[in-house]
Amino acid sequence: MWVGIFCELTEFALLFAVYFVARAHNPEAFSAGPARLSLLAGTGYTLMLLTSGWCVARALHAMRKGERRKTLQWMGAAFVFGLGYPGIKIFELQRNFANGLDGSAGVFIVTYYYLTFTHLVHVFWGLLGMLWVMVRTGLGVYTPEDHGGLEAFACYWHVTDMLWLMIFPLFYLLG
Amino acid sequence: MSSERKLDLAWVALVVLSIGSARLGSGDDDGFAVAVGVALVMAIKLLIVSRYFLELHEAHPRIRKAVDLFCYGMPILVILTTGLRDPLARLTGAALF
Repeated sequence: MWVGIFCELTEFALLFAVYFVARAHNPEAFSAGPARLSLLAGTGYTLMLLTSGWCVARALHAMRKGERRKTLQWMGAAFVFGLGYPGIKIFELQRNFANGLDGSAGVFIVTYYYLTFTHLVHVFWGLLGMLWVMVRTGLGVYTPEDHGGLEAFACYWHVTDMLWLMIFPLFYLLG
Repeated sequence: MSSERKLDLAWVALVVLSIGSARLGSGDDDGFAVAVGVALVMAIKLLIVSRYFLELHEAHPRIRKAVDLFCYGMPILVILTTGLRDPLARLTGAALF
């Protein structure tokens, strides 16, 4: 599990390197960049992912106590908040395209799409994994003593959350 | 304090920090000062998630150190690449072009 997670971290380390080099070479574009994006959407993604991560952590604690029903309820809440991420993405993309922020809108926007779409793909994998873990929890596969699958998913989801906590300020806050 | 209570408080702290840091981006402050503030908030949020949600203190020391490298490394890079923007551009310009 950790091998996969470190592959994910390595992938994003390369993308962050691209961001820092592009920012150093295009200071004006990156200084003006955050004002072109929706800070409300960026904050919304952050709150959705953090809340979803909190629900997953609560689900894991419920599983350790043998409370399968509570585990499922927390996982259900985590899935709903997790879905908020692509939900906000749809509205943000509509806003961006209406404002001409497509792939030809300059180096800041291209770097922004490059990193955030890669992250979106990882969120989709996470949401699919969450469904799988919910089904297995519902079937009673996990026990308080043996719930490695749930723990592995929780680790992946929290790392995906941490990656967003790095991406968010780079594009929405830093001038 | 119960472990659930700690998780709840961690989540509240993360929400407050996220909303607070959003205000950093809406001001007209100096770029370097904003970068330092953003890096500081980023580091605190990453450490909260890694300690309370990811439970990194229970992981193997090598895994903990590697993830910590990210938690501390990214905020430091944000500050360094803001303060040393021109040298970085010269360095990478010479290497790339």
